[in-house]
Amino acid sequence: MFAGPAAILFCAVVIVPFIYGLYLTLTNWDGISNHKPFVGLSNYRQAFADTAYWQAMGRTVIYSVISVILVNVVAFLLAYLVTSGIKGQNFFRAAFFIPNLIGGIVLGYVWKFVFNRAFVAIGEAVTSHTTSSLLSTPNGAMFCLILVSVWQYAGYMMLIYVAGFMSVDQSLKEAAEIDGCSKAQAMVKVTIPLMRSSFVQCIFLSTTRCFMVYDLNLSLTKGEPFNSSVMAAMHVYNKAFVYKNYGVGQSEALLLFVVCAVIGLLQVYFGKKGEVDA
Amino acid sequence: MRIFKKSPAVKRAGAIVLATLLSVGMLGACGSGSNSSSGSSGTKITIFNSKSEIQSQMEKMAKEYSQKKGVDVEVYSSTDAVVAHLSTKYASNDPYTISMVDPKDVYSLAKEHAIDLSDQKWVKDTKYALKIDNKVYGFPVSIEARGLLYNADAIKKATGKEFKPEDYKTLSAFKGLIKELQAGGMEHPTGVIKEDWSLVAHYLTQVYEEHEDPDAFIKSLHEGGVDLDKDAKFTSLMDTFDVLKDNNYAKDNAISAEREVTEQNLAEGKIAFMFGGNWDWSVIKDYDYTENMGEMPVPQDTEDGSNEKLVGGGSKFLFIDSSDKTSDKQRKAAEDFLNWLVYDKDGQSFIVNDCSLISPFANNKLEVKDPLGKSVKKYADADKLIPNYNHLPDDHFSVLGANFQKYLAGQEDRASLAKDIQNYWKSAKIYEAGK
Repeated sequence: MFAGPAAILFCAVVIVPFIYGLYLTLTNWDGISNHKPFVGLSNYRQAFADTAYWQAMGRTVIYSVISVILVNVVAFLLAYLVTSGIKGQNFFRAAFFIPNLIGGIVLGYVWKFVFNRAFVAIGEAVTSHTTSSLLSTPNGAMFCLILVSVWQYAGYMMLIYVAGFMSVDQSLKEAAEIDGCSKAQAMVKVTIPLMRSSFVQCIFLSTTRCFMVYDLNLSLTKGEPFNSSVMAAMHVYNKAFVYKNYGVGQSEALLLFVVCAVIGLLQVYFGKKGEVDA
Repeated sequence: MRIFKKSPAVKRAGAIVLATLLSVGMLGACGSGSNSSSGSSGTKITIFNSKSEIQSQMEKMAKEYSQKKGVDVEVYSSTDAVVAHLSTKYASNDPYTISMVDPKDVYSLAKEHAIDLSDQKWVKDTKYALKIDNKVYGFPVSIEARGLLYNADAIKKATGKEFKPEDYKTLSAFKGLIKELQAGGMEHPTGVIKEDWSLVAHYLTQVYEEHEDPDAFIKSLHEGGVDLDKDAKFTSLMDTFDVLKDNNYAKDNAISAEREVTEQNLAEGKIAFMFGGNWDWSVIKDYDYTENMGEMPVPQDTEDGSNEKLVGGGSKFLFIDSSDKTSDKQRKAAEDFLNWLVYDKDGQSFIVNDCSLISPFANNKLEVKDPLGKSVKKYADADKLIPNYNHLPDDHFSVLGANFQKYLAGQEDRASLAKDIQNYWKSAKIYEAGK
């Protein structure tokens, strides 16, 4: 009963647009005309045949896998560091979290400057001949995207891991150590299994964020060089609004949503299955 | 409380009603709060500005215009793609009275969204009004043209001679000048900006535009009947591009050279040439520029006179909304506004002095201030502009931009670039007149 207002709002801003979006994938709309000619499934056929889209998707998968692993490893290590009782750990917590407060667009421009000017200047000073920016090669651009994503998200995920560390009762670790565990064993056998839910959350959040990356992509590389760093979301946006192929763009967005949802749900399902209680 | 005791069913119904009312109320609250100000006469027109560099001038003008004319003018802009932004406005049934768009957008929007302006007085005062099926839909805001930008002071400093652009029409003459510049101490006299719109939408497109009938040329490209690498226009323009590319100050990292840095180098005379257009002034003016700059035709070894012309024409167009969300009174006010831009002294001065644009109207005799604009105006007045081709597919610049960038970076040779362009056109959706 009290869910009423929320349910209505949810319908109005999520369900209805979603269904309307679904309907638009069946039309040959150019994004602006009053006429929306119905074309059935041909947009999906075009989406499946769009090699640039699947290349972008493949690129997004590679980017996401590497970023998710690195984000979580770095976040976990940072969390361990700032809960281990080092001096000034509250300061470090805040400092590591700050990158996440800067929006992706601004972050992209800042790092673009760093890669294109600062690193190049340093490179030239050290090697004393012209060095080109990392952003000018396809692999370099991918590396930059991953580096900045890790830098941005690690602090956020760190907070969740910090909460995870805090939630593990000190007495359990002590008990393990009294039973003869080394510190590393206690970590692997006791602490990590008990904070499994943190891992599930962090991996879910970082996966979905990486899959849907757009702002960073736009401001850091803009798809360049040679359109080699166009991620799936950027391709979808261009298809719909820049190339004015709204129907196909919308179908591709839907496919991206499905892929993302399946991966996210599978990961949560398997992650939750193995959760343990103390 | 006892008196209000009701049966559970009534209670439930009441709660649903209450909840609905609440949520509707919330939605309502979101909707209001925008249309606050209204002019003295009650007529309000909205203008969508897609030329971001003149946004502050537009806002100032709107304020003054509102005070003088008693019509409330509001100017909006968006960081979104033009069509993406307009589509949200049409979808929410809240169109702008006047929208500023690129020429290709007029072709896709006008028939459904714009009113016919053929009967307007200003039509006879310009060559650049945008017509579809002999009806005028687009009001030209400015003339823009592309060509080779030069810094005459820098050239004079290196060669010791006064620079006369008309002496360097041919590529061989231009190559000679490059040698002289290098001998005079300017090791890398050119700059190339790597943006796909510059390489493809501007430079490559000139290949189509220099053909007598671009539509026919593109049609035969589409049908696979052109060997582009053997095409005279492609060859001569690419020969010139090679000279620009080989003498690029950022030759080894052409792909990461930033536009701002290149334009700064040109402004400060570290390089002498760059392919661009008079819009580049909005970037150059922020640096420590020298006065003697200008724009000249791209040098080419050709006999057909295309090396004596810039490429350009009307660049941004205004159209007036035709939907029933715009009242006739608003449309009248919008037409008055367009006439004000053409015939009123303040309007003329707004275009030329405040926005530094080149007026496409013959009756506007005001002098353009910036050096690049001056050059363009000179070519426009002498009727030496090759018209823009406005019917390229929307993904043209981006798809081929990737290939052209590879060429610029030296990762692809000219023959394979030509092949890529041919392959693109084979599957592209081309424009056919009347469709």
